[in-house]
Amino acid sequence: MRPTPNLLHRYANPGQFLRLARTLLPWLTGGAIVFLVVGVIWGLFIAPADWQQGDTVRIMYVHVPMAWLASSCYLGLAICGVLSLVWRHPLADLAAIEIGPVGACAAALCLITGSLWGEPMWGTWWVWDARLTSMLVLFFLYLGHIALIRAFDEPARGQRAAAILALAGVIDLPIIKFSVQWWNTLHQPDSITLTGAPTMSMMMLWPLLICTIGFTLGVAAVIFTRLSAAIHESRARQMMARSRLDRRDSQAA
Amino acid sequence: MMHLPNHWPYIAASYALTLGCSLVLGVGAALRLRKSKARLAAVEGHARRRERSAS
Amino acid sequence: MTRKTRRLWIVIACLACVGSAAALTLRAFSSNIVFFMAPSQVKASPPSPDRTIRLGGMVMAGSLHRINENGTPVNAFQVTDGQAAVEVHYTGILPDLFREGQSVVALGTVQKDGGFTASEVLAKHDETYMPKEVADELKRTGKWDPRFGKAPDASSWDTMTAKKAGG
Repeated sequence: MRPTPNLLHRYANPGQFLRLARTLLPWLTGGAIVFLVVGVIWGLFIAPADWQQGDTVRIMYVHVPMAWLASSCYLGLAICGVLSLVWRHPLADLAAIEIGPVGACAAALCLITGSLWGEPMWGTWWVWDARLTSMLVLFFLYLGHIALIRAFDEPARGQRAAAILALAGVIDLPIIKFSVQWWNTLHQPDSITLTGAPTMSMMMLWPLLICTIGFTLGVAAVIFTRLSAAIHESRARQMMARSRLDRRDSQAA
Repeated sequence: MMHLPNHWPYIAASYALTLGCSLVLGVGAALRLRKSKARLAAVEGHARRRERSAS
Repeated sequence: MTRKTRRLWIVIACLACVGSAAALTLRAFSSNIVFFMAPSQVKASPPSPDRTIRLGGMVMAGSLHRINENGTPVNAFQVTDGQAAVEVHYTGILPDLFREGQSVVALGTVQKDGGFTASEVLAKHDETYMPKEVADELKRTGKWDPRFGKAPDASSWDTMTAKKAGG
């Protein structure tokens, strides 16, 4: 089968994305570095110690952004899943491949930093309460997605299966969010809610906010970079395949 | 004044892991983008040369 | 109906199915998901002494007694949820966050006399994050005694700084 002009048409959208990524990337990267430097220094050295936890409260400034990013990246995977299943958006499948490992890293870091906080504070590395368990489930959903999307020789089949997994797994997100309200858990309830005043001193809230923005910008920059690279790689592959076909045609002629 | 527990090894481990992972992901992505751009440029240049010699 | 809208509806239907299945499962298992029992639940329907349960609640102010027996600390304290209190016995080192007024979760068994023998005690942190200076100031001015429960409404202290609290 010869590549048709249709193929170029398919790349119109990724082309647009590449232009967008080129404009946004310097801003995302610069913003991430500035916010993270400020946030980490503030969180580690300037923010006050908690009256009970002492300095161990500083783990929160990396733990909470990781939890937020693990959930948001999974939401991103689910949106990619809908775009892929319903609209067959070519960019969505590439994005799902690239978002998965980043989200899995965030989920793993959330679990590890939480464990590092729990050992000195609760007195245990791990308990099987609803919040911790549902977060672990999210990590395994990421691992399943990463494996599934690469499991088939024919990429389209793996992408379809992974999109379905991403959509089914989205049910875990509200469970994580509300687990601390619905059930008795060892994990504390959320300090920051949409409805009430935060039960946290402003002197701790500011570094937390800045760290969260910094890590979010950083993850956005990483995903944009990975996706741009993936588009370039797939274009190079397409050109190689086409040149091989051309050669075969010219040999046949 | 009450006793405040300090657990700097746990704090240091958390920050080192998180920032280290972020750095590895970021630098890895940037290197990958540079490599893929170079490869695409090479493939495109190759294709253009062949087209010119064919015509 | 175009193929795209049909696919969209299939996706929505599948999501609804998975969602309701999960909701029903969680409802059915909700008593198992509960990490701990409250003292009033334990008092109302005491579990058999051979069943290990988790007991959660607040350490009652003035109820903690620590003695040292051959080098190992032996602790006795009451855990309450405001309605009932259970006497807990625990041999071992309590976690850093343990204090009167703190929420704790104890793993162990209910004895025949209604007491609770714990094999493990975990401190449960609450959602309040307060600088030490602010806490000291609230305690000094008598606005809050941590031994009797949760911190006052956050809006009354969340903008207090070390300088304001100290001065």
